[in-house]
Amino acid sequence: MSFHVRTPKTFLKKVLVGLVLFSLGAFAAYLLPFLIPSSGISDPWVHHPLLPILVMTVIFVAAYKSTERWVKKFLEKYFFHKKTFAQMTLMDLAGDLAVNLDLQEIANLVVNTFGEVLQLKTVALLVPDLLQNNFEVASAYGWTISASKRVRLAAETPLLRMIHQTGPHVLMRGPVLQSLTWQEANALARDLDSLQAAWIIPLFVKGELAGLLAFGALVPDTVFDQGDFHFFREFAAAIAPCVHNAMVVKRLRQFNFELQDTQSQWVQKTKLNAIEKLAAGIAHEIHNPLAIISGKAQVLLMQKGPKQLEPNVQDALNTIVKQTRRAADITRKLLMYSQGSRGPQEWISLERVLDETLSLLAYQASIDKIEIVRNLDPELPAFFANMQEIREIFLNLLLNAVEAVGSEGKIVVELKYHRDEELIEIVCSDTGKGIPAEHLDKVFNPFYTTRHEAVGLGLFVTKQIAHRYGGSIRVESQVGIGSMFILQLPYVAETVRLQRASSSPQQGKEAARNSEAKRTGATVAGAHTEP
Amino acid sequence: MNRILEFLNQCRIKLIQGGNATMNKLLIVDDEIEICEFLKSFFEDRDFKVAVAHDGTKALEQMGLFNPEVVLLDIQMPGMDGLQTLKKIKEAYPKAKVIMVTAVETQEKIEEAMRLGADNYITKPLSLEYLEKDVQDKIDILAKGS
Repeated sequence: MSFHVRTPKTFLKKVLVGLVLFSLGAFAAYLLPFLIPSSGISDPWVHHPLLPILVMTVIFVAAYKSTERWVKKFLEKYFFHKKTFAQMTLMDLAGDLAVNLDLQEIANLVVNTFGEVLQLKTVALLVPDLLQNNFEVASAYGWTISASKRVRLAAETPLLRMIHQTGPHVLMRGPVLQSLTWQEANALARDLDSLQAAWIIPLFVKGELAGLLAFGALVPDTVFDQGDFHFFREFAAAIAPCVHNAMVVKRLRQFNFELQDTQSQWVQKTKLNAIEKLAAGIAHEIHNPLAIISGKAQVLLMQKGPKQLEPNVQDALNTIVKQTRRAADITRKLLMYSQGSRGPQEWISLERVLDETLSLLAYQASIDKIEIVRNLDPELPAFFANMQEIREIFLNLLLNAVEAVGSEGKIVVELKYHRDEELIEIVCSDTGKGIPAEHLDKVFNPFYTTRHEAVGLGLFVTKQIAHRYGGSIRVESQVGIGSMFILQLPYVAETVRLQRASSSPQQGKEAARNSEAKRTGATVAGAHTEP
Repeated sequence: MNRILEFLNQCRIKLIQGGNATMNKLLIVDDEIEICEFLKSFFEDRDFKVAVAHDGTKALEQMGLFNPEVVLLDIQMPGMDGLQTLKKIKEAYPKAKVIMVTAVETQEKIEEAMRLGADNYITKPLSLEYLEKDVQDKIDILAKGS
């Protein structure tokens, strides 16, 4: 047996064996001078101080193995009721797990303790997934992360069929494979190989398979005896209810979350329907009087020659025309998004839409001394969407950020493409005043605003658009430091990559300008580009 | 000789149809009386001959009597709405140019109007400058066509 740092209890046992042997040796060394003179030999080497040490070493070497066994048996018999240290540790763990409801935590504890205590190469705990079709790895010891994410056992795999037949017995690779025809054995071996396991302990709760504990040994020809298997079954019976309960809790949490999500969507939809009715009515009733007010003002403004009005009157009339237009825009905007009527969709370059939006804001930003930095994923693909809606998203996020910053600050817009999750992410962060924690869940509500002259529809509309594309938006904020809006849109896989520098020279020039901007940190604020 | 006769004939037809041959004719259809009134005075100041109707049925009557070159047609009206009226106008008087005027533009209604042959659409509140230009454009197109 080799010394192992990871198992302090084994180390303790060795110390105990050493202590027993040491006391035996000391006793022998104490007796030696009394024994030897009586036999009549009185050589000076007998009294040499090295002799007791020599005798002790001999006793140590000769008696170590048998003493260890004896000590082990003694300990097992009188202290641990025939269980080894390892088994003790594991049963302690099973006891602790009974009050734990976090599946991930339980799985981690089980595989790590099991693997370390029994000095195994691999251990994996598999549990049914949420739909209960497949078994997936809840936690693994000695596995690579990618393998534990990838491995799945479908309900119809030979291994699971076999376990349903054999019941709660521990499945051993060697004997089981020998008992099958070679085709069946091959199929089963594939499953076992994917789990990197030579043994499988099924976890049954009331005849239902709640999980699998699959493990492989460090040394190829490791064997477990009857007592070990007995213990494995006992251990399985102890942890199976814990795993099962945690699984049920996880499922309940998931369902609860879905329910809440559905409910909030429904509430949102109801609000939206109410707004739509209201907006349609208001728009029709208000736009007519607005048309009359604005029209009469325009007629007066168009008077030329002797009838031309004083400049201050003209100013007033211009304001009337402008403000009626603004009032109409509010209802129009409301209506447009509450109806959710989707305009034509096309492949659009998010980068270009962002640049257009930034050019609208550049002048205002430069006056307010706001630095706007854009940070683009070089792999950003073209996105299939309605141009108007995407423009609206950028405009709302950016206007919001500009308002939040006020003056002197920084806004960072990031466009990222997450290939693995097939997501396009738009992140807009600012160094503005931030949103108090108690208002965070209200910012996406319609008519929520902190500004006097605002309508409070920007973020609401942005969220509606994100939802329409199956996406989501969330906000992280700290008062005094700033806010970050993260909008994620699922990306349709069949997208053709945007051929940036190809097609027309105009596009090429633009791509070059953009890459130039990227290298230099892409500051667009201060560029006086009016639309 | 034939030419002169033809010219005289045309003058006679125009006289029967109402008024000055050089004046362009515009029909304004809107259930809001105020809107009709100020648009009427606006276009009359710009040497248009203007007729007004407050619903679809009246509009179709006016089409026959007044024979306008351009129609400003509101979409939302009681009874026969703007789209139905548009359809009938385009069936009976395919030459007339129709500009839809809407208080609320919904994508479907605009598409529907365009499909039925509307020549343009503008939204309330109106930009008179734009409206005047658009009406003039339509008249120019008609003049070129004839």
